[in-house]
Amino acid sequence: MIGAIVDSGDLVRVIWVSLVAGIGVTAVFGFAILGGTRAMEHGRDGRPIEATLFGVVGAVAMAAVIAAIVLGIIALVNK
Amino acid sequence: MESDIIVVIVVATALVFDFTNGFHDTANVVATSISTRAMAPPLAVGYASILNFIGAFISLQVAATVAQDVVNPAAVGLLAVFAGLVGAIAWNLVTWYFGLPSSSSHALLGGMVGAVLVADGADAIYFKEGILGKVMIPAIVAPILAFVVGGLAILVLYRIVGRLRPGPVSGGFRLGQVLSGGMLALAHGTNDAQKTMGVITLALVANGSISHDNIQVPDWVVASAATAIALGTYVGGWRIIKTMGSRIHKMDSAQGFAAQGAGATVILAASNVGFPLSTTHTISGAVIGSGAAKRLSAVRWGVAGNIVVAWVLTFPAAACIGALTYGITRIFGTGAAGPVIVSALILIGAAFLFIRRAQQQAATPVSPAAEA
Repeated sequence: MIGAIVDSGDLVRVIWVSLVAGIGVTAVFGFAILGGTRAMEHGRDGRPIEATLFGVVGAVAMAAVIAAIVLGIIALVNK
Repeated sequence: MESDIIVVIVVATALVFDFTNGFHDTANVVATSISTRAMAPPLAVGYASILNFIGAFISLQVAATVAQDVVNPAAVGLLAVFAGLVGAIAWNLVTWYFGLPSSSSHALLGGMVGAVLVADGADAIYFKEGILGKVMIPAIVAPILAFVVGGLAILVLYRIVGRLRPGPVSGGFRLGQVLSGGMLALAHGTNDAQKTMGVITLALVANGSISHDNIQVPDWVVASAATAIALGTYVGGWRIIKTMGSRIHKMDSAQGFAAQGAGATVILAASNVGFPLSTTHTISGAVIGSGAAKRLSAVRWGVAGNIVVAWVLTFPAAACIGALTYGITRIFGTGAAGPVIVSALILIGAAFLFIRRAQQQAATPVSPAAEA
């Protein structure tokens, strides 16, 4: 019955995009924090290899967050 | 000539509404950043106002919905548009005065529906596909969705960073809130400024300045609405910030990030398909979700309950005021006299409330330092 009133395609799109982007981007940012924090700790403990690996994880995650935001804005502008 | 005067009054009234929307909704956008100390209040408000301005230019889908999918633009008159706006402004002022974060969006749409119902009849309103399909059902789904997204996001975050030292994690999320808070302000601009653009466009259609067969939002309407909401955001309201940011529940920076991210994604996704959401409802749902996921008892459900009451009242209250305003305006005929007189009355009422508020704040100052 709701499908007869509201454009269910639009509503479903809002729901899945919100779930994927809201939880996904937040989780990826969490990995950015994890990578950065572990990189600092390992660097302080004199473990350069681990520090570098975690640093890369953090940087890639942060880049992914920014890319997701930019792509989202582009999708909005181009609608 | 008379209709041109009415158009000018309607446009000015709409921009005043947009301004009140901005300062009424400032807390929604910046409260979590301020309560977690991610940003100092003046910086948070300035940052939000700039991004609100930019957001207003990104998407016009919501403006299109308000201009042509809620009421029949070919059947609506200028006085009805004016009366609807006054209904929304009056309700915004009342809820601002009492510190209730009600929905400016529902106030606007409620005011419009009430005024148009009295002025042009039920046939001028698209109840099923418009009010229900594009406003009410998304309005119910959005805060629940934001609650779920906020709750799941913080649970996932705690899984990822839960074993790390709190200091660097909090610092990282405070920096992250610059991003999430910015996105929320942007999202607010893509949805809330659009409603005013839609109403102004509707007024221009009613005046015959724009054809109802090919409704396009003029560039000057976009620019003026964006400016008005940005200015309103900048002025802001500390009383409402206090309700949203800390009286609901105290939150850590990770929760603040999750809540802002959840609110931003839901609002942006809805803006993309033209659903005119309540940013108040949506971000409240996200804040409550991120708080409840950590600890149910941390959420001050009583305050949340007061918010729900304000929400339930908003649409019908604004509709009644919109309908009443139309009746009062029509007492003075169909010309410009009615809008001029009613505008003057609203200005006097607003000035009275502002002076009362200023006197109360002078007697009992509320500040971030006092809250800390």
